[in-house]
Amino acid sequence: MTGLFHRLSPQGLRILALLAVILLLLAFFASQIDGYFNARLFSRISGSVAIMALIATAQTLVILTRNIDLSIGSVVGFTAFAAGNLVSSNPEMSALLLVLFCCCFGACFGAVNGLIVAYGRVPSIIVTLATMAIFRSLLVEYSDGKSITTNTLPAWLTEFPNMPVFTVFGLEFRAAFVAALTLVFAVHLALTRLRPMRQFFAVGSNPEAAEMAGIDARRVVFSAFVLSGALAGLAGLMFLARFGNITVVAGLGFELKSVAAAVVGGVNIFGGSGTVIGALLGAVLVDVIDTSLVRWAIVSEFWREAVLGALILLSVTTDTLFTRRLVAWRAARAHARREAALNREARP
Amino acid sequence: MKTTNILGAVAALMLGGAGFAYADAIKLEGGKDTSMILLPKFLGILVFDQANEGAQEAHKELANPGKLDFTGPTPENSVAGQIEIMTTAATQKLGAVMLSNNAGDQIAPAAEAAQAAGTKVVTWDSPIPSAKGESVFVAQVDFGSIGVVMADMAHSILGGAGEMAVLSATPDAANQNAWIEAMKKTLAEDAKYKDIKLVDVVYGDDQSEVSYNRALALVDKYPNLGLIMAPTTVGIQAAAKAMQDEGLCDRVRVSGLGLPSEMVSYTMNGCAPEFALWDFRDLGYLSYYTAYGLATGQLKGEIGETFTAGRMGDYTIEADPGREGAKRILMGPFTVYNKDNVEAAAK
Repeated sequence: MTGLFHRLSPQGLRILALLAVILLLLAFFASQIDGYFNARLFSRISGSVAIMALIATAQTLVILTRNIDLSIGSVVGFTAFAAGNLVSSNPEMSALLLVLFCCCFGACFGAVNGLIVAYGRVPSIIVTLATMAIFRSLLVEYSDGKSITTNTLPAWLTEFPNMPVFTVFGLEFRAAFVAALTLVFAVHLALTRLRPMRQFFAVGSNPEAAEMAGIDARRVVFSAFVLSGALAGLAGLMFLARFGNITVVAGLGFELKSVAAAVVGGVNIFGGSGTVIGALLGAVLVDVIDTSLVRWAIVSEFWREAVLGALILLSVTTDTLFTRRLVAWRAARAHARREAALNREARP
Repeated sequence: MKTTNILGAVAALMLGGAGFAYADAIKLEGGKDTSMILLPKFLGILVFDQANEGAQEAHKELANPGKLDFTGPTPENSVAGQIEIMTTAATQKLGAVMLSNNAGDQIAPAAEAAQAAGTKVVTWDSPIPSAKGESVFVAQVDFGSIGVVMADMAHSILGGAGEMAVLSATPDAANQNAWIEAMKKTLAEDAKYKDIKLVDVVYGDDQSEVSYNRALALVDKYPNLGLIMAPTTVGIQAAAKAMQDEGLCDRVRVSGLGLPSEMVSYTMNGCAPEFALWDFRDLGYLSYYTAYGLATGQLKGEIGETFTAGRMGDYTIEADPGREGAKRILMGPFTVYNKDNVEAAAK
């Protein structure tokens, strides 16, 4: 056990700390709300995390390269609307084709952002702030005031998110959640194993050094935006399948939620470090707080946002302090042990 | 409340004489040049587009050579955007702005400035609460009677007894707040509803995902909940879908204000057995006639004035019983939809 503990990377420690914070929060809310723990709570949280995890992962890819994507909510909304439009006029189309469409559609928006940020050398916060409004206005124009309604969508699409895949200890894992988890783990593997994706970290932690090492930083930033757009497109499809009714406000506010999830999940806002597993847990944490606050009678509607903000701040600080202490303590222990070993060697 | 009713009655009596002077409905003369804008809460919601269709129809009918623009803020910028458009309208010397207010009283200074510059402000769908800067409010239905209809739908769905919760739009939407108040009043005053308990009011921000999650949270929070009342077209369908997805329709029903085309499947499968709405095309049409009359000086905007609004017939400007010192034109009525009539209306 201690061996495993010592072998864990700081990122691994952070994930453990996040899990601890989530468990503490669950215990706290269970003491405050009657009948809090039940199988439904898991369905609620896993249902909305399925979408948020994808968006947090998309955001993480961009943040890793020392950028930010504020247009992500607009991309989710636009893709959801366009996919809804497409599938309701072609109800016979294959699921695979629809998935591909959403990926490409989102990737196109990502490419626009990526081109301007990477090759136009405009700071990403400015670019995506502008494209957030532009994409949203285009959606308003494109939608022509119509909205997508559930009854125009094929049954396989609307039934997909709630299809039970398997059950563990009475907790029902539904298709949307399982699909999202699979995607997040796939991205995690790619980020840790594939050389081109490792370059995201290099560019994020030190762009100049990365250039010196022969990495085409612009191409890396561009691909981060395209990949992130594709994931946002998939999130849009998930959004369409889960909510069915898509208006032009779809995905509004997701940019901040995704940044919150990523940062809570330990992704460094200045780039270069973080994991998508952390971002996934961050999304879970934010959703646990959000879902539970609605049920907590003490907090009124008007204070909920403020309490959510305060709790996010509290969990990030706890997590940071806790992780830092743990890392420092572990380093001190290791140091002490080396000293002891040296001393033993010195004394014959 | 009682005093305002009496005041209203006194005002009506005092102005009764003036009413006779206008006993013949004013027939609006077409062809006068005045440019106007139709300003919805924000763009991209079906009902506002329907209102625009109605206004454009009236615009053609009256052969106004001026322009009718349908402009509005984007959803994330609704309040600030509405105020900005109103402020600009004053400098453009427009004849009238037709406003579905989403900015509460914050828009009043801009509306007053527009009035001072000669631009009439006709509100529709959602009024300016204090009526400052507002020429007249074209009310879709009597706000008090919406309360009664919602209470009645709750009564019939719950079978006379049970717990209900409200899922509204935003906390500062003037129309929804007024309807919820009217419903609370009805529930409290009439013994018929004594066994119906309103347990909570939550807000879904008129976004599908927020409304969907709030609806589920309500079910978790109140195990005996029998009905979710959503006086907003976005909230009602999100709530109905949430109940359907989680297989809760036999326990928790959904009702409120919704569009037949969006609600038809939920009404047929019993998730939302009854809901109500008025015709937004008519509302846009009537608002245009009112604004045109005021902007061209053919209407003075005084209580008791009666005019003919094209195909919809005669309407009279009256004191607004819900807002002291405000004037309104009452459109009405609205339709209650159930499985007998919803399919026909959805087409």
